[in-house]
Amino acid sequence: MIIQQLLNGLIVGGVYALFAIGFTLVFGIHQILNLAHGAVFMTGAFVALYSVLAGLPLWLGFVLGVIGGGILSVLIEFVAFRRLRKQGEEEFGAIISAIGVNLILITVAQKISGTQIMRFPFETFPVVVYEFAGLRVSALQLVMAVLAALLVFSITWYLSKTAAGRQVRAVAGNERAAVLSGVNPNFVFFQTFFMSGALAAAAGVMVGLAFNNIHFMMGEPYLLRGFVVIILGGLGSISGALVAGLLLGMIQTLSVAYLPSGLTDTIIFSLLFLILLVRPHGLLGRPEAGLMRGR
Amino acid sequence: MMIDFFIAYRPLIDLFLLHTGYALGQYLVLRSGTFSIGSAGLTAIGAYTAASLTVKLGLPVPLSILVATVASVLISMLLAWPLTRLRGVYQAIATLAFVQVVLSLNIYAEGITGGAMGLSGIPKAVGTWTLLISVAVAIYLVASLNNSRTGRAFDAIRQDEAVAVSLGVAISRYQLLAFALSGALAGYFGALEAFHVYSLEPNQFGFPFLVAVLSYVVLGGRHSVWGPVVGTAVLVALPELSRPLADYRMLVYGLLLILVINFMPRGIVDTWIDFRKRRLRVQAAQVREKEAA
Repeated sequence: MIIQQLLNGLIVGGVYALFAIGFTLVFGIHQILNLAHGAVFMTGAFVALYSVLAGLPLWLGFVLGVIGGGILSVLIEFVAFRRLRKQGEEEFGAIISAIGVNLILITVAQKISGTQIMRFPFETFPVVVYEFAGLRVSALQLVMAVLAALLVFSITWYLSKTAAGRQVRAVAGNERAAVLSGVNPNFVFFQTFFMSGALAAAAGVMVGLAFNNIHFMMGEPYLLRGFVVIILGGLGSISGALVAGLLLGMIQTLSVAYLPSGLTDTIIFSLLFLILLVRPHGLLGRPEAGLMRGR
Repeated sequence: MMIDFFIAYRPLIDLFLLHTGYALGQYLVLRSGTFSIGSAGLTAIGAYTAASLTVKLGLPVPLSILVATVASVLISMLLAWPLTRLRGVYQAIATLAFVQVVLSLNIYAEGITGGAMGLSGIPKAVGTWTLLISVAVAIYLVASLNNSRTGRAFDAIRQDEAVAVSLGVAISRYQLLAFALSGALAGYFGALEAFHVYSLEPNQFGFPFLVAVLSYVVLGGRHSVWGPVVGTAVLVALPELSRPLADYRMLVYGLLLILVINFMPRGIVDTWIDFRKRRLRVQAAQVREKEAA
């Protein structure tokens, strides 16, 4: 029973990780806390859903959703952050600007969907359940786990092994020095925001399929949990977000299963507060990341 | 004529007054150089403490409001202790977590708060006059704080912490003060709201509330005391101007936030004050030139 719960938690956690890696990537590289990330997640689910409803196959809907999320995220950077970046107003300004984008996207989605909760048509993804050593796993869960692993792996590979990825990391280390050695910062911004948005949208489509409950506010709980994941893992750390995402997924399913219902959020967010008090750089973040006041 | 206007727009005026109180609470912490967005949680604590004391224990309304305000101040000061050691973004995230904890506890503790259904049957004891006097007193207090040594210390901290420290400003002590006062305003106006609307519902103090209050301050300005007042007035009145504006209220809020932070990052009031000052200086220079000539 407990192993089944842990397995379910691991799969939920994979989605959290997928969502949070994009979130932490943008923060780690550009010091921008993109609060519109949850709205990109929601947009991904919307694009996939409407593609399927329009008669396209699911895999195409997924691809369109992911690309749509990436493009949307790049647009957000261009509209909401670029000017602030030039003024050196990233911290406070970007949060406000992102809240504005979030409000706009949510309102547009609300108007499009008529405030309805929408579902994928029955059997969009065939309902198949495998039993293995007493554990039950659905085909959808398997596909989600494999896809999540694949996406995380390719992002890490891209950032650590390719020339373009090295440029991204150079900007994260020291933007000025990177620009002086010939890196085009706008292209780096384009890449990180596209990857971040694509990951969020992928998570959105998966959540839309798994819970079949698509509505304009679906991004908000994930955004709030995203905070927990990126702080627990260490702001800016991709491997940290992966570990923390899986951990949070398991903590959450265990808490739902074994503790009084309704306390889950209290536990999760108290945990977030506690981490900020005792270990603000999280599990795998760098302690010198400038999180305390220099005093 | 004046009376008609007052009666027709009374709910709107009440809304404006309550939210001005919240905006002032949020403004105070921002002004002291902390990026706390936890005032939604403190407002919820104020509102629920006041309402449950009167509804469940039969305490008189003024006493409930007093206890609720004190409770918010204490909790705000407890928050300040760890928060003032963290830097900007981390403060924002930590206070967001605090808001979520308060929200989920409000839903969980059914016996005290009525759970997800909320609390109802709260006596209506607060009218427009009480709100008006409260807001006037709050503005007066904040304005005199701004003109005092404390206000100048806030400015120094916000502009450059290192300089402030080297000038002998005890940052943590001033930020503790800002948190306490902000907690007082948030809790007090939360309690007033409880006795103004008959019923409370946990989600009313969640993320959307937090965003609205933050928007008032950003739009109006974070320096002058009139910033939050003007910001609240504009955003509360905007949806009333026309039907489409009301339908797309959140979209308009969003657009305004992006435009203001990008093109007028100091907000309406502070930008205007700057503009006036510069014009006066130019005029004075012209007068001097004429006299010299």
